[in-house]
Amino acid sequence: MKYLLILLFLTVSIYSQDTKISGKVTGENNTPLNGANIVIEGTIDGATTDSTGYYEFETSKTGSQNLLVTYYDYNEKRQTIVIDAGKQIELNVQLKKAEVETEEILVTASSYTSGQNSQVTITPLEIVRIPGSDGDLFRAITTFPGSNQVDEGSRITVRGGDANEVLTILDQASLYNPFIFDDDFNTSSYTTINPWGLRGINFSSGGFSAKFGNVLSAVLDLKTYEMPQGTGGFLWLGLANVGLSGVYLSKDKNFGATMDIGQTILEPYFRLNGYLVDSYNPIPLARGLGGSLSYKPSKSSVIKGIFDYSKDKIGVRNNSPSYNGFFNSGSETVFGNLKYSAGLGSKTYFSMGLSYSNHKDDVIYGILNTLAKQKYAKYRLDVTHQLAKKVDINTGAEYEYNEDTFSGKVPQYSYDLSLDAPAFDVSNREHTGRLGAYVEAQIKPVKTFFLIPGVRLDNHTLSKKTVIDPRLSIGWKFAKDMVLRGAVGIYHQFPKLEYYAQSNSYDLKPEQAAHYILGYEFNKMEGVFLFRVEGYYKEYKDLVLRDKNTFLYTSGGKGYAKGIDVFLKSSVTNKYSTWISYAYTDSKRSQYDAVTQSPANYDITHNLTFVASYNVTDVITTGLTYRVSTGKPYTPITGGVYDPVTNNYQPVYAETNSGRFPTYHRMDINFQYIFSLFGRFAIAVFQINNLLNNKNLYDYTYNYDYTKQIEIVTTNKRQFYLGLGLQF
Amino acid sequence: MKTMILAILIAVLTTLNTTFLKADDYTDAMLKALKKMGDAADKNEKAAVLKVRGDFERILQLKKNEWMVNYYLGMLDYMLSRYAADEKNNDDVKKYTESAISLLDKCTDVNDQFADAYVLKMAVQGNRWQYEPNKMNDIIAKSTEAKDIAFKLEPENPRYYLIDGYMTFYTPENFGGGVEKAQPLFENSWKYFKTYKPKDETYPNWGNDQAAGMIAMCYIKLEKPDEAKKWIDMALEVKPESNFIKGFVMPEYEKMKK
Repeated sequence: MKYLLILLFLTVSIYSQDTKISGKVTGENNTPLNGANIVIEGTIDGATTDSTGYYEFETSKTGSQNLLVTYYDYNEKRQTIVIDAGKQIELNVQLKKAEVETEEILVTASSYTSGQNSQVTITPLEIVRIPGSDGDLFRAITTFPGSNQVDEGSRITVRGGDANEVLTILDQASLYNPFIFDDDFNTSSYTTINPWGLRGINFSSGGFSAKFGNVLSAVLDLKTYEMPQGTGGFLWLGLANVGLSGVYLSKDKNFGATMDIGQTILEPYFRLNGYLVDSYNPIPLARGLGGSLSYKPSKSSVIKGIFDYSKDKIGVRNNSPSYNGFFNSGSETVFGNLKYSAGLGSKTYFSMGLSYSNHKDDVIYGILNTLAKQKYAKYRLDVTHQLAKKVDINTGAEYEYNEDTFSGKVPQYSYDLSLDAPAFDVSNREHTGRLGAYVEAQIKPVKTFFLIPGVRLDNHTLSKKTVIDPRLSIGWKFAKDMVLRGAVGIYHQFPKLEYYAQSNSYDLKPEQAAHYILGYEFNKMEGVFLFRVEGYYKEYKDLVLRDKNTFLYTSGGKGYAKGIDVFLKSSVTNKYSTWISYAYTDSKRSQYDAVTQSPANYDITHNLTFVASYNVTDVITTGLTYRVSTGKPYTPITGGVYDPVTNNYQPVYAETNSGRFPTYHRMDINFQYIFSLFGRFAIAVFQINNLLNNKNLYDYTYNYDYTKQIEIVTTNKRQFYLGLGLQF
Repeated sequence: MKTMILAILIAVLTTLNTTFLKADDYTDAMLKALKKMGDAADKNEKAAVLKVRGDFERILQLKKNEWMVNYYLGMLDYMLSRYAADEKNNDDVKKYTESAISLLDKCTDVNDQFADAYVLKMAVQGNRWQYEPNKMNDIIAKSTEAKDIAFKLEPENPRYYLIDGYMTFYTPENFGGGVEKAQPLFENSWKYFKTYKPKDETYPNWGNDQAAGMIAMCYIKLEKPDEAKKWIDMALEVKPESNFIKGFVMPEYEKMKK
């Protein structure tokens, strides 16, 4: 019993005798760390260092113990100490700053992005502020390398190819006519898409995913918000246009609606900018109405319907060798998309959409009087499934129906448009279906590397052709801030129905491109400094080519495009941001009427865009855009041959695209002022497009016998624009 | 003899027990740390905040993934980030803010029904503006998301209105902020504080004096000294030693009177 007593006392004395542990915690270069935490693991005995890095605490623990030292973004340190009761311990610890963990590589194609995500290339605000883009999303995208804006309209052309080689996707629907004033010349077209309704914008000028089918060159993938972001309205009063939009979100956030209505009022704008109002009849007029309804039946699912309607009319005086008069055209577009998306458990997500579009387009000029209609309907399903921790599977299918009708009067000889020229009536209707399916795997064996093999299949019912496109893209973050990306793949696009209509028993192959892309990206501080360079080679075959003798289209064309894109963006301070994009392109094709390898329609050798924006104060922003690019190729007419039958001169063409317009220059500036009006948030915009009044050519016309070349100068002379927006 | 042994045994057991308590009684440790945290906040001393942060970190080390501890650590880091902002030390603002964000995420990963964590997330996002202004969209999106969740979970949480009020108060009128819009939010906060009962002693219970103090601040901005004084007194009634009132609101009040 006595023994036990002693033991007990001993125990007591052990517990009662605390040991003092003290020391200093320092970081690199022996700088003291203030606020570092020291603890004996498994207890709360410990201390926090003071501003000299010093700590001390007492513990009743004895024996071998682990001391754990931690401090924010420093590597933690564990040290075993042996505590003898009552015997002071002094322990100095040096911590090392943790190597910033190599962040995960983002699985993306070589694309330019915008949206709410922190990894985007440019933000929606930057997009609408780009001087010269007039707040137009597509025009803004033409400041990215890979696309060019020599025609000044909203159509995007990529790496030499025509605008129809770029597919625009909204949610899951294909958008074929998101434009107003899109006739004949692409100098004044605007897109009807509201950039503020978009949650993500993804522009890829090549090497894109197997998700996207029936497109040869590039994809502009737009995603709208599933639900509106709040309730409110916006009124826009501009010198050329007025618009009203509203968004509504229910209190429980399960129901939302948006509405957009707008109209152009161009006469005051034309008068201010010195346009000859009598060159227009009618003065261009466009009206648009759009909206959406969203409903969330459950936490993880949403149904959304989008509707858009636009109508425009334009008459421009146009002189051609055979006819002088107004070029009149009008168009009307209806678009709708219904989408349902939902999560199935935590690993599977699916989305399906049903879209419809109907576009009508009429043209009257001289003897020419036509009406073209295009209808599209599409059903699409996409499924994403997390197969394993490092493997995601994307798969899906789509069926698209396309119908084109074309009717009216066309001249027998394209060069003779006079009112009494020989002409014939046409009436034609073609339709086809396309069934597509794809599957791809996103494999990320390590955090810094990804690999996406994919394959898609497309079947065209009219030509009874099926194609299989294998694609592969890889990304490797080989150092902090540095990524290498590569992509190879086969891409197909079935020719437009108008070419099938003029072919031998619909026997046209889909146009084919093989993409080879290699890019390097340096991204410092998530976009504060971004440098990208990308080289590409694209090889085309089975391009649509007109046979010289039969005038029927065949699949005999081929070509290539190669070049380098460079993009540099820096927003070092909150006040100043700038980007420069440069593209070198060499694109030759035998296509349409070019039987030999000729420069492609948009073979712009050098294309440089500089954009800068400066926040003068919190409420005043100013910006500048400067573009310079090689002139666009065109096919010169070398003279005329008199044709006694038609009593007209027949043009003699030089080699296709053997001429070039002069170098293109344009500088645009804008100012924005944010203020409070009637207690509401208001913004005023003043902009001058083509500040230096550069005379940019976009076409030539000729006198009656083709001996004199007459310049058609862009309508975009120096222009002033003023607008006022009011949020309510 | 027997009694003596018993007494000793009890003594030993008690000692043992306290040691155990020290290591295991989470509530006790939390309460002590919370008390210290309150004192540190009242003294408005960065060093004291850092010290108490260590206490929480040691508790966390013992009770891994305890969401409530992560909440307080996040809150302390938020406080530290505000000190760093006053010192114009952007590196530290970033360090503390990133840490606060990650701690609050850890908190809601475990307990996604805890409204106060989302309330704090709302506030913390605003700090990022100082070191990554180019991420404005992301900041707004994340802050709005946290705000929406907080409201959904606890529409009568007084700190929700307090933080919303702060954010509105410091946003220029042109951008939808301003005193007039902020004041009703603080008044709501004050109203809900009256009925607010923390679920237990470790639950957050701060901000009542700030709600009254900020109503006073609104009146100070509107140059209404009598109302301001009334609210200062009400704040001091709630928390007589409030450093927020004595160190921040009252000097502003004196300035206005001059």
